[in-house]
Amino acid sequence: MNVIDQRIHQALDGELAAEAVPAELRHAVARLAAAAALLAAPPPGPAASLESRVMAEIRRPAPSRARRVMRWLVTPHSIILRVRPAWSVAFAAVVATLTLFTAGDQGPELGEHEGIAQFVGRFPEAQSVHVVGTFNDWRPGSIALEDQDHDGVWRATVVLPAGTYEYMFVVDGERWVPDHLEERLVADDFGRENSIVIVRPARR
Amino acid sequence: MNVRGAPPDAEVVALVLAGDTEAFGIVIRRYEAGLLRFATRMLGSRDAAADAVAESFVRAYRHLASCREPARLRTWLYRIVTNRCKSHLVRRSVADVPLDDAPPVADPADTEADLERADQLLLVERALADLSPDKREAFVLKHVEGLSYEEMAVVTGERIPTLKMRVHRAREALLKVLEDHA
Repeated sequence: MNVIDQRIHQALDGELAAEAVPAELRHAVARLAAAAALLAAPPPGPAASLESRVMAEIRRPAPSRARRVMRWLVTPHSIILRVRPAWSVAFAAVVATLTLFTAGDQGPELGEHEGIAQFVGRFPEAQSVHVVGTFNDWRPGSIALEDQDHDGVWRATVVLPAGTYEYMFVVDGERWVPDHLEERLVADDFGRENSIVIVRPARR
Repeated sequence: MNVRGAPPDAEVVALVLAGDTEAFGIVIRRYEAGLLRFATRMLGSRDAAADAVAESFVRAYRHLASCREPARLRTWLYRIVTNRCKSHLVRRSVADVPLDDAPPVADPADTEADLERADQLLLVERALADLSPDKREAFVLKHVEGLSYEEMAVVTGERIPTLKMRVHRAREALLKVLEDHA
């Protein structure tokens, strides 16, 4: 901030007579006064009067109260919220808590013969992990696991029709590996071992 | 305000409130130049200023009965226009505020002094546009419209020390720009 001598303000506020302003400050006072005079001068060109426009508007009968309410309801309005940072943090915490509880309560909608399968694999170096199996015809890319906290543990929760499925993980789109955490394994037709997941119906 | 031979504001207000709609034309003719200048400096656009002032006059007419001191009609009108300008500024970001609808085009008949004056005006307008709306409002009310700090307090609803501080900060910012371009 470029603070200027208080006597310049006093002179411009009429609290200090012009002749009482030191010579070295008069130039600044004159500059600011000239700038104000420039802004106060009428703009070039003919000035169009607002009188006819305003008088035409006020001669019209005022709209009914119901019409004004309806117009207000359909017109976009700006809303400005002035919130202290401390309150906004508290508000965000409340919203986050409510969201977590709500999300926990709701869960996925399950049909009568559906259950939840949870796939968990530890792949610290992986860039992507997918699960493929008999439930998606071994099509890579359709069910992705996520490592949200970047601890190398990848997870996916999937709703599947109740049944027994063979599956594998596809790491980085090319490496097929069984689920090492799953003890139930079965040999497939290609000499590899697939993991087994049993999905039980959630409603009995 | 009482121009020689013209009825004072309080009398005009009484006429309008008594049902003489046409008497409101006196109010418009009396104050539109100053209000338009103020709104133009606030919004940086003559078209936007004309809209804001026209809306303000219509609003003033419809709420004229709520003007508690008709003798101070001028400050009441400035207050309405100030609020309309703030609404316009909220509806669009300050970055979008145009300096003016069209830059002045040099006329072959313009003298060197005219061109220098136009350059200087452009510089001051740009410096004014760079101020925050609060500081711009305070500077324009004080130095362009010539209101006293007491009148400014009525117009803006702010305390006099706050307004003085805003005017001081605005002067400092403007002076810096003027000196940088000297």
